[in-house]
This record gives sequence, structure tokens and C-alpha cells, in this order.
Amino acid sequence: MRFLAHRLLLFVAALFGVSVLVFVALRILPGDVAAVMAGTAATPDRIAALRTQFGLDRPLITQYLDWVGGLLHGDLGTSALTGRAVVAQVGQRASLTFPLIILSLFIALLIGLPLGCASVLANGRRMRGFLHVLAIVGGAVPALWSGLLLILLFSRGTGLIGIFPSQGFPSEGWHNPGRALSSLVLPAVATGIVAGAGIMRYTRAAVGDVMDGGAIDMAMACGMTRTQAVLRVGLRLATPQLVSVAGLTFAQMITGVMVVESLFALPGLGALLIGDVGNRDLIAVQSELFLLAAFFLLLGLVIDLIHRALDPRLKAADATGTDAGDGTTGSAASKGGE
Amino acid sequence: MSQNNGAHGKPGATKQNNASASTDAALNARAKSPKGGKPKGWLISLIAVLVVVAIVIGVTVFFNNKAANDSSIAGDDSNASKTSDTVTVGIKLAPVNLDIRHQSGSALEQLLIGNVYEGIVSRDSNNKVQPGLAKSWEISDDGLTYTFHLNEKMNFSNGDELNADDVAWSINELKAQKYYNYDQVKSLDKAEAVDANTVKLTLTTPDSNLLWNLTGRAGLVFDKDAQYDAKTSALGSGPYTVVSFDSSDKLVLKANEKYWNADRKAKTANMIVRFLTDDNAAVNALKGGDVQVLTSVPATLTKQFQSDSANYTVSTSDGSDKFVLAFNVTNPKLADQRVRQAIRYGIDHDQIIASRGGVDAPLGGPIPSVDPGYEDLTNLYPHSVDKAKALMAEAGYTADKPLQLTLTYANVYGTELGDQLKSQLSQIGIDLKINYVEFSTWLQDVHTNGDYELSLVDHAESHDFYKWATPTYYYHYDNKQVQDLYAKALAATSDDEADGYLKQAAKIVSEDAPADWLFGYRVTVVTAKGVDGFPQQLSQSVLPLYAVTYRQ
Repeated sequence: MRFLAHRLLLFVAALFGVSVLVFVALRILPGDVAAVMAGTAATPDRIAALRTQFGLDRPLITQYLDWVGGLLHGDLGTSALTGRAVVAQVGQRASLTFPLIILSLFIALLIGLPLGCASVLANGRRMRGFLHVLAIVGGAVPALWSGLLLILLFSRGTGLIGIFPSQGFPSEGWHNPGRALSSLVLPAVATGIVAGAGIMRYTRAAVGDVMDGGAIDMAMACGMTRTQAVLRVGLRLATPQLVSVAGLTFAQMITGVMVVESLFALPGLGALLIGDVGNRDLIAVQSELFLLAAFFLLLGLVIDLIHRALDPRLKAADATGTDAGDGTTGSAASKGGE
Repeated sequence: MSQNNGAHGKPGATKQNNASASTDAALNARAKSPKGGKPKGWLISLIAVLVVVAIVIGVTVFFNNKAANDSSIAGDDSNASKTSDTVTVGIKLAPVNLDIRHQSGSALEQLLIGNVYEGIVSRDSNNKVQPGLAKSWEISDDGLTYTFHLNEKMNFSNGDELNADDVAWSINELKAQKYYNYDQVKSLDKAEAVDANTVKLTLTTPDSNLLWNLTGRAGLVFDKDAQYDAKTSALGSGPYTVVSFDSSDKLVLKANEKYWNADRKAKTANMIVRFLTDDNAAVNALKGGDVQVLTSVPATLTKQFQSDSANYTVSTSDGSDKFVLAFNVTNPKLADQRVRQAIRYGIDHDQIIASRGGVDAPLGGPIPSVDPGYEDLTNLYPHSVDKAKALMAEAGYTADKPLQLTLTYANVYGTELGDQLKSQLSQIGIDLKINYVEFSTWLQDVHTNGDYELSLVDHAESHDFYKWATPTYYYHYDNKQVQDLYAKALAATSDDEADGYLKQAAKIVSEDAPADWLFGYRVTVVTAKGVDGFPQQLSQSVLPLYAVTYRQ
């Protein structure tokens, strides 16, 4: 319980920090929404009138307090440009981006877990080397490039084997689930490969760690083969670390899929953010970034909680007064980087 | 994977050896049996993956074929020749909102004027003034009083009556609230309703441009009693009403059942305008039948439709888009007219146009072919590297001592243009640096602050010569003679007289070389077979949809 209170306090403090950072960073950009709205035939009068209308002529402190006051009431504001509530806009775009992330993560796990285990189990030097190279190459290929390759290979219209649509999202959205899903396949594979290679390395490191402990030897002494021991005992012991890694990968993908969204012309969160920054619709951008940051932080919190639920040792450590949650996550992350 | 098998019993498996070197023979036997099963496990999962992939591919191919068959069946139906109640038009640029009184951008005018909103007068596809809400008008001899006679029994789409009060209110409000384009009516003193069907505009100075300006945003008539969110919807008196709008997807229009004008009643009940920013996605949408009309297709992508003339019609028409490479004449380097002239000689317009697909029009001056006062000025600065080099040498620059210039332009136009200019100008001893920025940064640095050396932008507006007669505009072009001629053109009471002055002024501007006009963008429209009534000209700014029909 104390752990939860502690984490919640940190959560709120981080949110406050994010709100200041986002607000200040965005004001450094040249140009403003009034100029964008007024366009190339604008007169200075016209721009001044729009600035007053949007409240851009007020001191920055007032603007900030106004915005944060809204946030405290759960009001993320209204986009100056589209006149729609920011929540509604984010919700609409998230209905594309989140399925895409989940699909990518699924593909990443599908690639990463078996190959990671395989590289622990591989005995031959050649096999081991091959899997090692595979992990490095897979992780080093930019999603942009693999995406282009996938378009060249599989896109309908231009690809060699034209089976998947590669541009845009059906206008009827999820009302046509088949079409919607098929338009997400190629982008999900593009990001899934990169993330999958990462997860493969993490899996190898985590399971390898467990092997260095006595648990595997013990299991084999009890009659399991090495394969059985690694898959049944080693993998299970490594699960808490792998959950952390999967959670972190999920968080990374929120920004990672933005590149792929633009490559595949998908109207997701990335396209929304890029458009709003381009139009200098700062109220919308800062609320969107704030929402994303809050989501990141919340995800971290949830992962830590799951982590503790899966690993009873952490609770025991907590009882003696140390907060071990961050430590373990950190060590898993550093292992993966090797 | 089978290699794994052979390697397995061999060197690396030291731990394994220890484990299997058990003294218990029964345990050894047990330990070996799953080993034998292992390759099967791999094989099974491999086969499973292959099967799943094969099924996915098979299913998609099957559905693709089915879709293709469906469309070919639909093609057979065309003999039955049924008029569709829905037409979908694909356009490239989406307006961010529908607030036509605040938001800039030609996409708004293109979509809403004449379809949802109507003006006191309207514009036809030849850029000429036509009757609109007013059926006729008179202009006093001194050019200071305009009297408009409105049609009778007009109403907005919500049923509210539209009369002279609404017209006068809309124009007065434009001026008072400084709405978008309010500067187009700065010569106006006031608008008043003489009676229910007569509106009188009083001017402080004659303005030969006013009537044309009233065909655009300045002349639109709004319902002063209606309450609606102007950013997400629109309420006017036109043949269509807005059902829904999403700037990342589409604008859905429905025929206005209460439309007052029998001559312009919508022929198709539902009109959907889809915003397809990606050119390849747009082309695929047309090929797949998702849209029946596609506007602003890049000329490099139209070949496939041109060769399929049985199913598609490709047309290209003139517009008012001018790609202006402006030279900041207040910059000391560019204040030297020889440098500006050298740049104009040095640019190979034909090459630029050819690389864009060869449909754009060469443009030698500030007035495009659809505007009054146009004349072909392309012969003033024909491409000549020698002349350009000579002028640069005169100005004191050589290949060894090149002139450093920076071109600032927005990333909406693609990097090719900048690269072409860079390589063309390097031949005449100019080292061009490209500053490729976001549009909003361009607006701030170049348009608002006037802080630039060279700038490139597409000026889409028609009738915008005034920018060359306004020294405060970012061109910073200040020429008394041009300003006088433009004032005379505005004060002229006949069109011919005004055109004559504009011609003179445009020629002076072009000779002075405060900018180079790279080309006039010409829009290419592709329509599927069966589409009728889509405007062929000026569809970038005037897009009346009421006459569009589609026979399947």
C-alpha cells in the first residue's frame, strides 16, 4: 500500500513536470495558429484580431494557468483550428493507432520469444552465431526501410505479390473490420520485426540469466531435458522481466509507429500530432502530448504492479523497506542492451 | 532447422552430457525420448506458420478476385444505365475547418461557395461575374453606387427567409468584424437594404475589382438568426447542405430540399468529397471505384488513365495558381537589378515544367491567363545561361566568387523544385542554399516578418495583382509607377480600360524582375466513365457540384 501511494505521488509530480515542459517547449516554435489561419493574403490587422480571439495575446503565465486549470477539471480544451474537443480527436485517432500497436506487439512477441528461446537452446556455434546476427540485423533495420520493402513486396497495386493495401485506412473505419485489419498488417509487420528483434535479445538475456542460477540444473537433475527445463522452468522464471520489457516496448511503439503511420498514410495519432504542430494549434498539441505522457507514466505504473504480482520476491524485499521494483526493470533493460 | 539436429549431440552440450551420463539407465532412456520428438516440434510449428501464411494469402487473394469480379459484374450493369444517387469526388487539399469567415485556404472556397453558401453574385468557370442571389445590378456612372436586385422568395436551408436585410448585414459584418478578405471591400462605405429585394452598396472610391470580389468570400450571405458551429458545419442558401465533415477523411453533402433556385437544384442526392492527401492512395481509390472523380492528379500519374480512355476521361485546365519565386528587393544582394535579371535568365522553366509532367503553363509575369490584364510575357526573359553569366559578371560575381543566396520555402511543395533551382542557378555562379521549412515557419519568417532572400510559394488567389502594388506585402516591391497604374485600373469604369492599365503594370513588374514566375499550375482532373457535369475549368477555386451526375 505504501508502495502504491509512493508511486502515485511520483506519478502526479511527473505529470506536473510534463505539463510545464510541454508548454514551454512548444512556445519556442516560430509562428502561431493565427498566422496559419489567416494565410498568405493576411493583413496584420486580421492576424491581430485572430490572436485576440484565441487569447494568444495574453501573458504566457495566464495561458498556462488557464490550460492547467482546464486539465484539473478534466477539460483538455478545444482545438483552435478544427473547433473539436481534443479528447474526441485523440479518441478517434487512437482507435487506429492502438490496434496497430497491439498488432505490432503481438507480431514482435511471436517473433521474439521463440527465437530468443531458440538462441539460448542452440548448441552449435553456427546456429548460435546465426541467431545472434539475426537479432542484430533485425534490430538494426529501420522500420521505415522494412516498411518500404514490404510495400514493394506485398502492396496491392505496386507490389510483387499484391495482397495487402499499403496506403490509407478505409474511410468506414472499423465498421468494415476485414478491410481495416488488412490495412494494418503491413505497418504492423514493419514495426513488429524491429521490436521482435529487441524482444529476442531480451529473452535470450533473461533466460540466459536464469540458466546461470541453479534452477535449470535443479530441474534437469529432477529428470527434465535441457529443452524442457529452459522452456518450462527458465521461461517461467524470466516472465516478470519479460513483462516489463513487453510493457516498455509497448510504450516505445507509441512513438515508433508514427514513422510507419506516415509511410503507410494512416490517419493515426502520429499524423494528428504532426498536423497540429504544423498548424501551430498549440492548445491541441500540448493536450495531446500531455495525454500521451500520462499514458506512458500510467503504463509504467501498471507494469510495476504486474511485475510485483508475478514476482513474490519483490514484495518480500518491500517488506524490508527497499523499493526493488525499479531496480529489476532497470537491470533487465541494461541486460537487453548488451 | 534440421542442422540443429545433428549439432545437438556434439560439442557445446557439455551440461547435457553431464545430465545424460546418469547412472540410472531408465532415466537415460526417458531423457532421450523427448529429444527424438524435438525436431518434430520445430517442424510442426514451421508447418503451422506456413499454413497460416498460406491461408491468409489464399483468403486475401480470393477476396480480391471476388471484389474484382463484383466490380466487373457492376460494369455489366452499366448497360442498364442507372443514375447513381451518390457521387464521390477525391480532392487533395482538405480544409482544416469549415469556418469560411475565418479560415484561409482555397479548398474552402472551392468546396463551399456555390454549393453550400451563395454570394450576392457568382463566378463562372471562365472567372467571369454571373448573377447569384442578385439577378441583376446597376453601377452608377461615377462607380460609387452599386444597386443589386435580388431574386424573390429565397431562403436558407433551415427555412429562414433570405432577403435584402441578410445581404446588407453580411457585408457590413464582414467589414466590421474584419473577417477573412475584409480588405477586399475596403472601398465600401456601407451596404443598406432599400427594400426587401434591393440592396445598395455605397463606395468611398471607385473599385473596378469590387464586383469580382463579391463573387468570392466577400459577397457570401449568411443567416444572421441561425446558430451553428461554423467550424464543423455550414449553413447557407446553396443547393447542398453539410451532413458531416472530418478534415482527415471526408465532407458529406446532401441535396438541400428547400433550395430556392429551380435552375441549380442538385441533380445528385448525395455528394461525398474525400480528402486524399497521398497521390498513390488517390489513384488507387479511383481505380478501385471508391471515387468517381479525382482532381489535382499529378501529371506524372495520369498516363495509366490516358491509355484507358474507354473508362476514364483526363482533362487539364488553366487556373490562377502562380508558383512565385520572390526576390527580396530590400536585401542588399538582391537590390541589384542585374542579379535579379540574371536569375530570371538562368532559370530553365521548360525543364522544370517537363519534370513535373509537362502540363503546367509557362508564366512570364504576375497575372495568370484566367485573370484580367493577362498577356504573354514569357519572351521577356528567355532562358539564356550566357546572358545570365554576363549580368552576374557585371554585378561582380564569378564562378570563383559565387553569390551566396538562401531560398526559404515550405515543405508542402516537395524537395525537387529547390534542388532543380539549386542546380540551374549553380551554372550562373549562384550558390543557392535551401532552407526547407514548415509552412507555419514560412508564414512567420517570410510572410509576416519579411525576413528572407528568396522565397517560393504557390499564390493560388485570382485577381491578386494588388500584392505588387502594396509595399507592405512580403514582396516589399515598391514602384510608384506600378502603384499609380493599379490605382487607375481600380478607378476605371470600363473593363477594357482597367485591363489596359493592368497590362502595363504587369509588364513593368515583370521587366523589373522582383520575382520569377516559375509556372502556372494547371489542374488535371480524371473522371470515371459515366460522370457528367463536372466543371472542366478553374475547378481549383470554383467547383459547382449541383450538375454532377454519375451513371453506373
